[in-house]
Amino acid sequence: MTLMMKQELINKSSFTCFCNHLFKLGVFLSLLTLGGCNSHLVGMFAPKGLIAHQEHKLFFDTLALMMIVVIPVIIMSITFVYHYQVSHRIRDYKPNWSHSYFLESLWWSIPCVIILILAIMTWKKTHELDPYHKIIGIQGKPMLVQAIALPWKWLFIYPEEGIATVNYLEIPVGVQVEYWITTDNVPMSAFFVPQLGSQIYTMAGMRTRLHLIADEVGTYDGMNTQFNGDGFSDMHFETHVVEPAEMQRWVSEVKKSSNYLTDDAYKELLNPTVGDKPKYFSKPVPELFNNVIMLYMNSSGAVHPRSNQLKFEKE
Amino acid sequence: MHAEAVVPHDEHHHHDTDATDVFGFWLYIMTDCILFGSLFATFIVLNSTGMQASGLKSHLNLYDILIESMLLLASNFTFCLAALNLYKQKLLKVQLWLATSFILGASFVVMEVTEFYHLSKEGFRWDLNGQASSFFTLVGTHGLHVTFGLIWILMLIIQIPILKMNKVARRRMTYLGLFWNFLDIVWIFVFTIVYLMGAI
Amino acid sequence: MLEKLLFGNLTLDAIPLHVPILMGTFAVVALGAISVLLLITIMGKWKYLWNEWICSVDHKKIGIMYLILAMVMMLRGFSDAVLMRSQQALAAGHAAGYLPPEHYDQIFSAHGVIMIFFVAMPFMFALLNMVLPLQIGARDVAYPYLNSISFWLTFVGAMLCNASLFIGNFARAGWLAYPPLSELYYSPDVGVDYYIWCLQIAGVGTLLAGINFIVTIFKMRCPGMTLMKMPIFVWSALCAMILVALAFPVLTVTLGLLSLDRLFDMHFFTDFAGGNPMLYINLIWVWGHPEVYILVLPAFGVFSEVVATFSKKKLFGYTTMVWAMAIITLLSFIVWLHHFFTMGAGADVNAFFGIATMIIAIPTGVKVFNWLFTMYKGRITLSTPMLWVIAFFTTFAIGGMTGVMMSVPPIDFQVHNSLFLIAHFHNVIIGGVIFGYFAGLIYWFPKVFGFRLDEFWGKLSFACWIIGFYLAFMPLYILGLSGVMRRINHYSDTMYQPYFIVAAVGAAFIGVGVLFQIIQLIVSIKNRKALRDVTGDPWNGRTLEWSISSPAPLYNFAVIPTVSEIDQFWLDKEKHNLPNIHDIHYQPIHYPKNTPIGFIASLFAGLAGFAIIWHMWIPGVVGFVGMIAVLIARTFMTDIDYYIPAETVKETELAHFKEVANAR
Repeated sequence: MTLMMKQELINKSSFTCFCNHLFKLGVFLSLLTLGGCNSHLVGMFAPKGLIAHQEHKLFFDTLALMMIVVIPVIIMSITFVYHYQVSHRIRDYKPNWSHSYFLESLWWSIPCVIILILAIMTWKKTHELDPYHKIIGIQGKPMLVQAIALPWKWLFIYPEEGIATVNYLEIPVGVQVEYWITTDNVPMSAFFVPQLGSQIYTMAGMRTRLHLIADEVGTYDGMNTQFNGDGFSDMHFETHVVEPAEMQRWVSEVKKSSNYLTDDAYKELLNPTVGDKPKYFSKPVPELFNNVIMLYMNSSGAVHPRSNQLKFEKE
Repeated sequence: MHAEAVVPHDEHHHHDTDATDVFGFWLYIMTDCILFGSLFATFIVLNSTGMQASGLKSHLNLYDILIESMLLLASNFTFCLAALNLYKQKLLKVQLWLATSFILGASFVVMEVTEFYHLSKEGFRWDLNGQASSFFTLVGTHGLHVTFGLIWILMLIIQIPILKMNKVARRRMTYLGLFWNFLDIVWIFVFTIVYLMGAI
Repeated sequence: MLEKLLFGNLTLDAIPLHVPILMGTFAVVALGAISVLLLITIMGKWKYLWNEWICSVDHKKIGIMYLILAMVMMLRGFSDAVLMRSQQALAAGHAAGYLPPEHYDQIFSAHGVIMIFFVAMPFMFALLNMVLPLQIGARDVAYPYLNSISFWLTFVGAMLCNASLFIGNFARAGWLAYPPLSELYYSPDVGVDYYIWCLQIAGVGTLLAGINFIVTIFKMRCPGMTLMKMPIFVWSALCAMILVALAFPVLTVTLGLLSLDRLFDMHFFTDFAGGNPMLYINLIWVWGHPEVYILVLPAFGVFSEVVATFSKKKLFGYTTMVWAMAIITLLSFIVWLHHFFTMGAGADVNAFFGIATMIIAIPTGVKVFNWLFTMYKGRITLSTPMLWVIAFFTTFAIGGMTGVMMSVPPIDFQVHNSLFLIAHFHNVIIGGVIFGYFAGLIYWFPKVFGFRLDEFWGKLSFACWIIGFYLAFMPLYILGLSGVMRRINHYSDTMYQPYFIVAAVGAAFIGVGVLFQIIQLIVSIKNRKALRDVTGDPWNGRTLEWSISSPAPLYNFAVIPTVSEIDQFWLDKEKHNLPNIHDIHYQPIHYPKNTPIGFIASLFAGLAGFAIIWHMWIPGVVGFVGMIAVLIARTFMTDIDYYIPAETVKETELAHFKEVANAR
């Protein structure tokens, strides 16, 4: 393991890269000391998509930049305290020395410069990685997936393919996917696949958007990150990244299913449940996603639009 | 720290209390400004999203609102007369003008409550939608402040003979004056943002 | 009908008889309360308690009461933390742990609310009350009676929060109760109402206290003390109190609107009928972000005082320090959006707020360097307060660093709502705020109580705290980056469990630290004669509070001091320029009388709050009208102050001088 890391270290030799590995090494060591758990890293440590990779890099760049100030502070705080203790009887004692234009301008200006660099990076990267925009440098029309957060499960609708799934997301590798996200009968939630990148809130009567791309085949954990009630901890879904051809096969298989996502089937999904196994539907109700949003937007009066059909209750 | 430089403190302390107290009351007014500011912001946000049919427009009766405004402004004017008489040490006149202010202010509150009653009767209830909620809350909060001002005026009418127009009474009149003026200013904003802009 | 009006939704079912943990807690609390009450009765201290404490308008006593409130609530908040840590350490894989979600969700909500509102805030006001008037050479705060009201409102708020343990339940919506989760449709029980009213009542108390201290600082300074000659702690308090006055009205409005939603089916923050939950999230953070600085600025003030005193050196860069705090104060109002970059605002907006946030790191960094260079070429004594400051440098550097990292929106997209965030803010709130308050408490303890705290147990508890702190929160950074979210009740991947176990061990270490702090207090009380602070200046201090006896006399200063420099007391000591005790001309001192009004009015406010929570309309009206009536009744009272005779002042002062002389 260490050998591999060293090899990588030689290949990319920037300071950030070093920091990156230092951090990983720390994590690795702490894992090791914690009783030999398997060392597979997840989440941000193992990015599997372009956005996640860039955010990962930005994370360690920023860390490196901050270290310029943080490390001297920690060192000074320890050495000054050690050196100038009364018991050390240091001659050099200046009780009234409390001002120095040079020093003070030094520590106003150094942080200013660092923050200036960081601010430029931030401005650039925030625009480049804006979840609402198509990913820069990726050609082709994005594939559309509509996600609806339901009481403690996720519904994914593939409008172009004419299928829908619960707690199961399958996407092709190397293809940009655009997510439209909203929620129904559950408080504000958030859609997040850590290894693919950015998360975004889901809100009733509103559509939020997200663009992600996966660059490696595999199964990744997806989740809700915003606490939304008692079933929050179980609101995970599997994200399967597969080759486009396999995706095609899967879609045509689900399409054959007689399990239609009718209005009634959807109403059934509105019931609060926890830890649902993946479900697959064909022929989702047309315009379901937009109808859900409009239901909330056009409501008025004291009664919640869902409470006629079903009262939201906690177990 | 120099003992010789010490001045006897108590007179100093007493001189300062008035300025100190009024400064504190100004700070309170400022916090109340922020309170109303947040309510105005809420009103504006909830009235600008998506839905066009605010509902408020069709129910507004600007004529009544004009009378309400006049009542409030007049009560402020009569309050100023009361304050002037306080400095002339004319106790009865102070009470009289305060009572006038009270009646004018009370009429304002009564008119507002009637307006609310009619609005909700016509279907524009506070639980209809966000716009209705923010309307009732913003205007209602101002009304509640006026009601507190009224209780305060009542208390002063009672207290002035008891306190014999001493410094305390004068200070309380100053505070109430600030408060009453402040409510007028807030009303001008309510009138402009809620009613005038709502009716256009 | 009458029953409904009297008792509302409150029935016997509201008492959680079926939850053994709660009933056990209740038994312990009840037993403790009964024994305390019995003890007071046996010792015949009721009259003393009423006259000298409950009715007190003396800022020093109010400060002590704030302190006791903060300490007691910290024990509760800390037990919540231990429950959470142990639950998460256990609930891996198929194990569900021992706390079901509906209980666990209350615990983390209560933990946040208690730690911020009923530990950190009272702790801050304790320090302010105990020290601030002394530092500016004043005899009391500007409005002593208002000070009493502020405290009792905070107290009542805290008690309402505690009542939720045994009557009904607390909110399950997180410490900021985001709608629509906190709306009636998704949270139909009384939990969120408890949340709203305990914060609303305590919040009004805080707002009044904020106004009180601003006026105190602007109007009550002793002659010669211009703004730029104030002790730095006073500056930090001023900045924090300005933030209180600007931010807390927004909290009042936000909570008020949420309660209107819940009481009258209004639609401010509902997810339907034109409500806008995003508005709540904006409003609550317009208050919430400055709130963080309200807590940390006074801690910065404490660090400045402690560093200068224990380095025997003037604070480096006083002017820079003041400007840095002023900049932080201003900037804290234009960064609130960084709490929800993931809401989908455009890149321009996100980038603006991100950059505004990182700019705050500049003045904060400057402050850190100034502290470091205060120590440089000083003579450092490693007393317990100083140890906390030294530990603070590293924790705060790490916490500040992760804070800046999260202010970069694309990074936040990855770590938002994760345990990385939890680690970050505990890093700054424990490592910045709580360490600072501990340092301040130990530093000023002799001034308030007349004796020092035991150093041995203090250092031992410090060591446990530091070890516990790093063990508890460093694993959370790693977990957060691995994609573990906050507020989870259980998790399926057992790979995370070792980290959670380490974190739980850390919490245990902190628990031992807390235990040692309690022992420290007991030992110090026992040895109070040996630890007695005779001179009133145990640390060779620099500011005015050390120029008077410990504990400070009722009137603080027999003669109001005059200053011409920063650290005047230090200079006077250096130049042997202290006043000759025979030259002092004593005068009667004007002082406010104690009054029970603050206490009674707050009790009525508490009754009103409790009644609204349970929709008990008759008690609600009684509480509200009662509160107003009591406050009005006070305006009819004319006998509200008196003079402390010059003779009494003279006797008190001479007794102090005699004690000092004997000690020499």
